Amino acid sequence: MVRYTNYLLLLPGIITCGFYLVAPLVIMLMISFYKPVYPVYEPGFTPVNYINFLTSPQAPTILINTFSTTLLAAVISLILGYPFAYFLTFKIKSQKMKTYLISLLMAPFLIDWTTKSVAWIAILGESGLLNSTLISMKAIKEPLQFLFRRETLYIIWVQTNLLFMIFPIHLALNRVAPDLINAAKVLKAPPHRVFYDIIFKLSLPGVICGFIFVFVSTLGDYATPMLWAGGIQVLGLSVSSYAGNFLWPQASALGIILLVIALVVLYILLKVVNIKKLFYE
Amino acid sequence: MSMKVGDMLARIYIVIIILVIYAPMIFLILLSFNTSARISFPMEGFTLDWYIGELKGYEYVSYIPVIHHWQFWESLKNSIYVSIAAGIITCLLVTTTALALRHRVFGRDFLFYLLLLGFIVPGVLLGLGNLLLYRMLDLEITFWNMVFVDVVFAVPFGLILMMARFDPDLMMYEQAASVLKASPVSIFRKVTLPLIRWEVLSAGILGFLLSWGELIRSFYVMRGVGTVSTYIYMQITMNPVTTKWFAAGTIIALVSFAALAVLGYLLSR
Repeated sequence: MVRYTNYLLLLPGIITCGFYLVAPLVIMLMISFYKPVYPVYEPGFTPVNYINFLTSPQAPTILINTFSTTLLAAVISLILGYPFAYFLTFKIKSQKMKTYLISLLMAPFLIDWTTKSVAWIAILGESGLLNSTLISMKAIKEPLQFLFRRETLYIIWVQTNLLFMIFPIHLALNRVAPDLINAAKVLKAPPHRVFYDIIFKLSLPGVICGFIFVFVSTLGDYATPMLWAGGIQVLGLSVSSYAGNFLWPQASALGIILLVIALVVLYILLKVVNIKKLFYE
Repeated sequence: MSMKVGDMLARIYIVIIILVIYAPMIFLILLSFNTSARISFPMEGFTLDWYIGELKGYEYVSYIPVIHHWQFWESLKNSIYVSIAAGIITCLLVTTTALALRHRVFGRDFLFYLLLLGFIVPGVLLGLGNLLLYRMLDLEITFWNMVFVDVVFAVPFGLILMMARFDPDLMMYEQAASVLKASPVSIFRKVTLPLIRWEVLSAGILGFLLSWGELIRSFYVMRGVGTVSTYIYMQITMNPVTTKWFAAGTIIALVSFAALAVLGYLLSR
């Protein structure tokens, strides 16, 4: 009886995921093998869309840009987010305070996507806070260009995704048994060994979970590169510009390549760490 | 005061990160009262014209005071509906799924990874895939598509949140109740739900918030003016960024903040 209830409980989740998540991916995989015939496409099975992209002269640039920007954004988020999660878990004692601090990180979600990135103009724009302060201090004569360049991507991506890095690490650190840390201290382990061998290694599932999130969320973004980085050529942007021209087979093929990249990175990371440890067992 | 230097530095670090995360929002609100249409420092003067100014009759969309901009209000209304629906559905799906996944059901690992797929699939694919699916099936894109692309994305987060925080003894309490011959429904109402009510609630809030500012996915399945994210994105790719958009952003932040405040108030009673 109890067993059947469990399967019944799973049903709504499976149906939703099946229809709105798996079916769209299957359709995209199918369309990516269709033959593109102007102005639409012809059903069939041909790898021409993949071959066209991979042999095009822009392909190496696009792939390198995609990898370097998304991985760097994830690494920066990790470097900034880990200390935050660490301090939050071990230095803030009151549980109420922890909850407040985590809720405070929700700020970027209160505004819509476009406005929250446009708001950076106020700080980094040509006559934004930073430039006008520097000019009034006579540090510079001409305003510096902070926006509309590759580095802008990192500022916006890190600011909006930091919560997703901090939260899983915090969850993982919360699960580190204080007894283990105390035992190591009693046995006179040097602080860096306590940190690296116990705390850091046990928090790895959280680190990986956060890393995957930031990586994937930046991988699938086309709006930030388009609005803020002078149309830097990344895969997500290519997918959306094909889709904008109704070139479905090409857009689907690039989309599938994007998914494969995400899955490969995920597979490698999951080989290193068992992410399920965060949730059960 | 015997606070160690390390603890002090830790607190300073936390404050700095939170300030950096808030900085754009603070300046967004501040500059939305600027008289100049250009986003610039220092402020020229204080005005409410971008919110409730007079309509002169010849403005571009970037100069219409927010109050007269009916497409904006339409999209804001859509956003509210979409996010509330996404919050409720996420909450229900996460609760049912998380409760079942605690047990050793057949294919649990597979199911777990399937559900996590929602946050592993890059955003652009989810939106475009849904659009293509509906075109292939010859179905009409509706309000619910905007809701469900957000739900599919929010469910994995809700699951992570809920499963990582389940009380380890929860299953023991349930077994005790079941030994005492309580019916499954009353076990859920009297034992399980009271113990997980905060997790259930946070899953709902998460669904609401993740859906509120969503652009990447909803852009492909929008109808009409869409939600605030899609509408303002469309406008800003075609029109200049003026102080007016900062006023619009301030209103959007106010609405979601008010929604959370009302929820918090109702809960604290």
